[in-house]
Amino acid sequence: MQGLGAALPVLLLLLLSAQLPRPAVAEQPPWAPGVERALDPSSRLAVGAARVALHNYNFHAASPSGLRALGQVRKATVKSIPGVGQKCYLQFTTEDYRSRENAGSCLATVLYPKKKSPPAVNIKCINTKDQKQIQEEDNRLYQKLKRQTKPITGSNIPDSFGNIEPALEPVWALAVAGSSYMMWEKSTEKVGYFMTQVKSVKQWMRKDDSLEFDYVILLHEMPTQEMISCHMRLIWLPGHPLKVKYTCDSENHRLEDGSGMESGSAAGIIREREENF
Amino acid sequence: MLFSYTRSSRKLKINGYVLTKGGLIPKIELLFTSNMKLILIVSALFGGALCLETFVGHQVLRIKTKNEEQIRKLQFLETLEHLQLDFWINPSTFSLPVDVRVPANSLQAVKIFLESHRIEYSILIEDLQAVLDREKQDMVASQQMERSSNTFNYGIYHSLSSIYEELDNLASEYSNIVSKLQIGQSYEKRPLYVLKFSTGGSNRPAIWIDAGIHSREWITQASAMWIARKLASDYGNDPSITSLLNKMDVFLLPVTNPDGYEFTHTTNRMWRKTRSKNAGSLCVGVDPNRNWDAGFGGPGASSSPCSESYRGPSANSEVEVKSVVNFIKNHGNVAAFLTLHSYSQLLLYPYGYKCTQPADHAELNALGKAAANAIQSLYGTTFTVGSICSTIYQASGGSIDWSYDYGIKYSFAFELRDTGRYGFLLPASQIIPTAEETWLGLKTIIEHVRDNAH
Repeated sequence: MQGLGAALPVLLLLLLSAQLPRPAVAEQPPWAPGVERALDPSSRLAVGAARVALHNYNFHAASPSGLRALGQVRKATVKSIPGVGQKCYLQFTTEDYRSRENAGSCLATVLYPKKKSPPAVNIKCINTKDQKQIQEEDNRLYQKLKRQTKPITGSNIPDSFGNIEPALEPVWALAVAGSSYMMWEKSTEKVGYFMTQVKSVKQWMRKDDSLEFDYVILLHEMPTQEMISCHMRLIWLPGHPLKVKYTCDSENHRLEDGSGMESGSAAGIIREREENF
Repeated sequence: MLFSYTRSSRKLKINGYVLTKGGLIPKIELLFTSNMKLILIVSALFGGALCLETFVGHQVLRIKTKNEEQIRKLQFLETLEHLQLDFWINPSTFSLPVDVRVPANSLQAVKIFLESHRIEYSILIEDLQAVLDREKQDMVASQQMERSSNTFNYGIYHSLSSIYEELDNLASEYSNIVSKLQIGQSYEKRPLYVLKFSTGGSNRPAIWIDAGIHSREWITQASAMWIARKLASDYGNDPSITSLLNKMDVFLLPVTNPDGYEFTHTTNRMWRKTRSKNAGSLCVGVDPNRNWDAGFGGPGASSSPCSESYRGPSANSEVEVKSVVNFIKNHGNVAAFLTLHSYSQLLLYPYGYKCTQPADHAELNALGKAAANAIQSLYGTTFTVGSICSTIYQASGGSIDWSYDYGIKYSFAFELRDTGRYGFLLPASQIIPTAEETWLGLKTIIEHVRDNAH
């Protein structure tokens, strides 16, 4: 993976101006292990993997102004690595999360390990937006939040009608960045996530320069269609890695609106992780 | 007293004056808070029947005191509970008037008291009940006006009752081609209303469109309402729709799961399923799109009542599903079955319960692509076309699998905007654009059916 990272920028330039080499592959199952086969770019495996790669990107970028959403998957291949897992190779376009403007394309690999652990992602993206401008927006956002003398609180963002109060937009954007960490870790080839709503947010005032928020986030899990409630603690300082700590309710916990265990569901296993700062 | 004016809740503007504690402001109109109005009117209405208080014969007196002595006299009057006086403005200083509601029985006594002490007063309201009656009439009239002038805003999300009201409006406004049918009742006994678009004939081949089978997918019910109005108003104006309705009927079910929809408004915005009780479980509801008789019990649906994709105890166990099945079967001539969902921007054809291609795969795929192109032509929104199994996931018991296997070739499911940014919480500003582009997709399919089905 490290070697690939070094060669990637060059590869990026080459690949974006040329076709990906067509893999020599059998079109019928069963797939020969170790052989890369083409994927329909709109297949759920390809699209799901691209999303996972973007979760990883958004988390590591730690930039509420620089969040990206998936545009279109242009090319996708997959390789089965015996004893390790499935590895997807992807080329896709991205959009600015808020404005839906084109934000540039990315090349990524996503390895879904056989053993239950977070997918391993390697992703490099081109920026159509000026990075300095993004940094400035982040700083402006940061200053605005820092200026608040009282702890910021909110609930149901967006509300039932899709509205986000302008004053709470930065807090929502941070939630997207933080949730990306949770969604990346929890994703598998079969199960993916979308951040649906910030059920509640409360700021913890800090003596140092960082901003700290306590969130309850609703994640929409596919294909089970379940709504997963997660408690997330987030610490942000522009230019620094995002710090996220979270626990999610175990799946199928919903009685009427409360909790209760259930067994025998067909959905994938949800893991709970506690990260230490 | 069922109802009492508390002094702090008084804010009455009557005959040119606002009577509030501490002063009067001249302006005309009777103004109550709507709660107060309701309480007043209800108690006035029920007063006679239940021997409760009405305000017949009650007068409101404005008392002008000249000195401290007169103030003290009024304060004394206040203490006489048997008179049941209701001071709207209390006696406090002689420079301010005192307003008091006097029940009919006490009028004579109070007036004699005032006159004997040479305290000036005037009658502000001669008969309070008459004023209230007039106010009630005005309220009813203005509500009627609102209804008939059709103030339904197609660009916002509506309550179930508001939607149902608009269905009636559509049926009356376009009564030449639109009628409202009830095809059944939900679990909680809410009516299932279908709009029928027809220019006559007898059991013409029909297009079926439903929305809101999953209640949290609000963009679908909202789009269905816009589409209803569009379809009705385009007849006679748009050549394609005119020719369509001259040959075929359209049946539109805007809220397939009204119990769930109501629940998303009152309790849980993210509710998906029906609201039926499950025997032996505290969990409520069945996924109505896993409950159809198509590969029922197969993969892609849960056997747990607590799951969002719980298939239910048996196929068609949900009355909402059964009602649609019965309608389609009884009609006998449905040529297309189109259902709206959100989100993901997909245009899907069968199958979901198995991963093999339907016999009409080539035609359905081509038609789906044409529809997706039409959708994209308006705002650039891209829809992915494919079978359920290959595009999203294997899912048994779905509606278009049932309709296809039943013999309705043109069976499609739409997943509307967006692709995950807002998901179910799509901003209202996107309702009309979404409805417009979806309509183009539906029209493409419908026109093909019109030109190919017999």
